[in-house]
Amino acid sequence: MSLLEIRGLTVAMGLQEILHGVDLAVPERGIVAVLGSNGVGKTTLMRAISGIYSPKAGSILFRGEDIARMKSHEIVARGLLQAPEGRQIFASMTVLENLVIGGGRHGLAELDRVMALFPVLGQRRGQMAGSLSGGEQQMLCIARALMARPSILLLDEPSLGLAPKVVKSIFDLLAQIRSEGLSILIVEQNAKAALRIADRAAVMEGGRIVIEGPSADLAGDPRIVEAYLGGHVH
Amino acid sequence: MIDPYYLQQLAIGLSQGVIYALMAIGFTLIFGVLNVVNFAHGEVYTVGAFAGLLLITAFAPPFLVVLFAVLAFGAALGFGLERIAFKPFRRFSDEASLKSRAMRESTLMSSLAVSIVVREGLEIGFGSQMQTLPFDYLINKPIELGPVTIVTGDVIIFAVAAVMLGGLQYLLKRTRIGLSIRAVSANPLGAKYVGIDTDRTIITTFALGSMMGAGAGILVGLYYGAIFPAMGFVPGIKAFVAMVMGGLSSIPGAVVCALLLGLSEGLATTFISSNWADMVAYGFLIVTLIFFPQGLFGAGRERV
Repeated sequence: MSLLEIRGLTVAMGLQEILHGVDLAVPERGIVAVLGSNGVGKTTLMRAISGIYSPKAGSILFRGEDIARMKSHEIVARGLLQAPEGRQIFASMTVLENLVIGGGRHGLAELDRVMALFPVLGQRRGQMAGSLSGGEQQMLCIARALMARPSILLLDEPSLGLAPKVVKSIFDLLAQIRSEGLSILIVEQNAKAALRIADRAAVMEGGRIVIEGPSADLAGDPRIVEAYLGGHVH
Repeated sequence: MIDPYYLQQLAIGLSQGVIYALMAIGFTLIFGVLNVVNFAHGEVYTVGAFAGLLLITAFAPPFLVVLFAVLAFGAALGFGLERIAFKPFRRFSDEASLKSRAMRESTLMSSLAVSIVVREGLEIGFGSQMQTLPFDYLINKPIELGPVTIVTGDVIIFAVAAVMLGGLQYLLKRTRIGLSIRAVSANPLGAKYVGIDTDRTIITTFALGSMMGAGAGILVGLYYGAIFPAMGFVPGIKAFVAMVMGGLSSIPGAVVCALLLGLSEGLATTFISSNWADMVAYGFLIVTLIFFPQGLFGAGRERV
């Protein structure tokens, strides 16, 4: 059984339907990438999974339990954490305060492990989060999620607005986090970076998943690369 | 040597400023978290005073019991107020809705409506005239301090305010619920992603702010010895001015400005008729808005 299984997820904003019956599964210890250009519903999907939007139809099974209509804090308490679009860190609070808040009921139990993954945050622990560079803010955003001991981590466009070198270091870290037993669902426009670490990938278009399969197959199919992935995966 | 008369006026101004500060904290807390002005805050102050009066006439408990009962009642008022006037307008939970203009404007109206209903309700129940509080409870026994005479109420109000302020700073910086309040204030959507129960945090904020408002109400009632249904209006306005002067969402800023306001009014009455003393606050507001639109302490600080 998959750790996270989305079935027929339909999300509407008022009268407008954004997602039309999305099916997607993330296996235990797997990395799944959702690709697609702007405005196809990737962030809406991620927000629905985290309980920010309440779906109109469908189910989201996490360890077999339907979390589709739960509140965001109930979903986080079950170990599903997200590093959201736009990072959403607490800019006017210190790095350490961001991490304490991220720890929630686990407090600072994960601090040493997280600091070992992101040494730069250790150096900046007393600094206001808003004064960090873009790459450091993204790291803080991921670190904050890891403080809550997630069993699955959702990442919404972690590479957005970052220099290629920073993107590479963040994706290297993700591979390392996965090797410690975490599942990852990642949404990306940067198909190249995402396909490099993902086991499986799905391409979204117009609020639907149009292709789904092992990431090697997607990256190796020139027609898919041409049509959906901007033609430059390799 | 300063004329004792001015010292006396300063003492009066200081205790007035402390009262404004207690009111301003509640205002600012709620503004910081939701970005909305709670127009019913003055009525929380009034209802706190009336609850104290009812409690004293019914059971005549000791002063501290009255104070704590009113604080607890204030927290309950904040809870109810949020449920009635604010929660119904918070139906969606993305960032666009959490601090949207529509929510701001609708809650402006709903809290104003609650404020009018409560004030008129009190007038129907108690009449619009002054209600006197039992003499034994009043906190106006004189204390001689060299050339200046203050009353016990000045000391009590100052002590209560100091404890509340200190307690609030401790809560916001050192406790989990305080961190949650600051997190919701800094970024409500981010707070959802880290698993903070934002609804519960907002209710807690209202309870805290209203607790302080109600506490200020009963203290002022016992200080002056009389309360009336419209008593919350002027302190509400003053607290609002202090909040704006302090930069809208800075609690320390609001407190400093509230004290400044109280002291200025205290001194102003030596030069102008006390009927005109209120002009000081409005004058400050206008000057602030024209010359310091970000508040006296500038923008870019942490909210709350």
